[in-house]
Amino acid sequence: METTERPPIRPKFSIHNLAFFYGSFQALKPISLEIPEKKVTAIIGPSGCGKSTLLRTLNRMYELYPGQRAAGEILMDGENILDPGQDLNLLRARIGMLFQKPTPFPMSIFDNIAFGIKLYEKPSRGVLADRVEWALRKAALWNEVKDKLQQSGTGLSGGQQQRLCIARAIAVRPQVVLLDEPCSALDPISTARIEELIAELKQDYTIVMVTHNMQQAARVSDYTAYLYLGELIEFDVTDTIFLKPRHRQTEDYITGRFG
Amino acid sequence: MSSVSGTICGVDTAAESRTASRPFLPGHHKRQSLYDLLFRGATRAFASLVLALLLGILLSLVWGGWPAIRAFGWGFLASAEWNPVTERFGAVVPVYGTLVTSFIALLIGIPVSFGIALFLTELAPVWMRRPLGTAVELLAGIPSIIYGMWGLFVFAPIFAERVQPWLIEHFGSLPFAGVLFGGAPQGIGVLTAGIILAIMVIPFIASVMRDVFELVPPMLKESAYALGATTWEVMWHVVLPYTRIGAVGGILLGLGRALGETMAVTFVIGNAHRLNFSLFAPGNSIASALANEFTEAVGELHSAALIELGLILFFITYCVLALSKLLLSRLARMEGQQS
Repeated sequence: METTERPPIRPKFSIHNLAFFYGSFQALKPISLEIPEKKVTAIIGPSGCGKSTLLRTLNRMYELYPGQRAAGEILMDGENILDPGQDLNLLRARIGMLFQKPTPFPMSIFDNIAFGIKLYEKPSRGVLADRVEWALRKAALWNEVKDKLQQSGTGLSGGQQQRLCIARAIAVRPQVVLLDEPCSALDPISTARIEELIAELKQDYTIVMVTHNMQQAARVSDYTAYLYLGELIEFDVTDTIFLKPRHRQTEDYITGRFG
Repeated sequence: MSSVSGTICGVDTAAESRTASRPFLPGHHKRQSLYDLLFRGATRAFASLVLALLLGILLSLVWGGWPAIRAFGWGFLASAEWNPVTERFGAVVPVYGTLVTSFIALLIGIPVSFGIALFLTELAPVWMRRPLGTAVELLAGIPSIIYGMWGLFVFAPIFAERVQPWLIEHFGSLPFAGVLFGGAPQGIGVLTAGIILAIMVIPFIASVMRDVFELVPPMLKESAYALGATTWEVMWHVVLPYTRIGAVGGILLGLGRALGETMAVTFVIGNAHRLNFSLFAPGNSIASALANEFTEAVGELHSAALIELGLILFFITYCVLALSKLLLSRLARMEGQQS
């Protein structure tokens, strides 16, 4: 892996020799990578290359499923999150996540946001209401839902639901937000709004996103990692990856000659 | 490139002109709509059959119970007397027994079933899920008479010797609830019937709950886990509300079985037409009263009273269904209206 000169930026995650297995199938060849703090890092690559797998190691979501395991080391602010002694719930409370499809909980809009807050804090009613409003404003959804906070979250449009999920994720004040193809189920207008939102959120959060859409990676990310068949082919500043990639494979993929 | 697309266009037009020159044959079309008509008629007939049966059963119950309805009026529902000799009948004892045993069955059955379903879908190691799930389903297949015999010969004696004395000692002297645990430990009685019913409804409720829990999109659960929720919090706050219609359906299935269960209850409830608030005392349920007395009912009034009990059971089941629909719509309102 080669990189061009990079501004000195603190890494949020330092990944060393991370390998991943689904049973006996190795989905990630040992990968080493540093994900910078308060930047947007995009992970691109053809289907099945291990993008989502890599993302799901960062909050150890894979542990829900038997037979999936990771080896190596992921340091988050110097602390190895793959350590078996790591408290999974506390780890996940510090790392928000968004999925391919919006996943509002079967409860009111207000409770969707309040759910995560109440897991770890015991705020008074007023503080809770303020936090919910803050999160909804951050997710640029407040004006659309402020009059119907008690209505079901599942009644919103797809784009609104995905912003509701963003509000839900940031309401617990995480340090990192993981996005797993967050716009793949949305129309272009909703996609544009989510992208604007990502650009705003990176001031406060470290964002790691998996995307199939190369234009999207180019538009919103600061850094891009290109994965192919479980290997990290190239990781660099997004402009470098898209304008003068060092590897022929990367160039072929982003120009659409392959993939 | 252009030549290729030209060929495709050519083929397309050719195909189109062929279909245009040979439209549907009128005869073929007619047969099609005739089949549709037949099919629609047949399905409609099947569906109406349900309504006709329902009405027919209801009418025959009213018809058969009419002498008792005329003789006792509303008093039938308020009287605890049941005396075939003097021909005085009242429904309080069997109705009370039916409701209390079913309530006990659900009180024990729902939490246990939820636990089983939760374990089977979320916590059990993969190799254990299938055998354990099959075992739960097998439990549902055991004939009720086996439960009755097991209850009478195995469960009741142990219950009378070990559990009831303990309950009497610890709860018998409580201010109000003490009444429920008074009396002699006889083994058979309302509580025993309720517990046997609980064992019988658990496989129904547990397997329905397991099935609906498995339908929850993994992504929904993952997004709750991603907020740092524990397995319990995910199940209680996300999975259960998401599956509430199915879960309530499973509970209703269990309740339906508990309300109407005859053989197992007859074995262990004691079949005594005495109103006693102690859960240890023998009582009676509608279904077991019918099973026990129908063959021996001599007078017209006795059989009519039994048929009227059947009508009441019918009505109770209907009320339970209606209440559960009401509950579901209340829950939906609590979740927030759909916009």
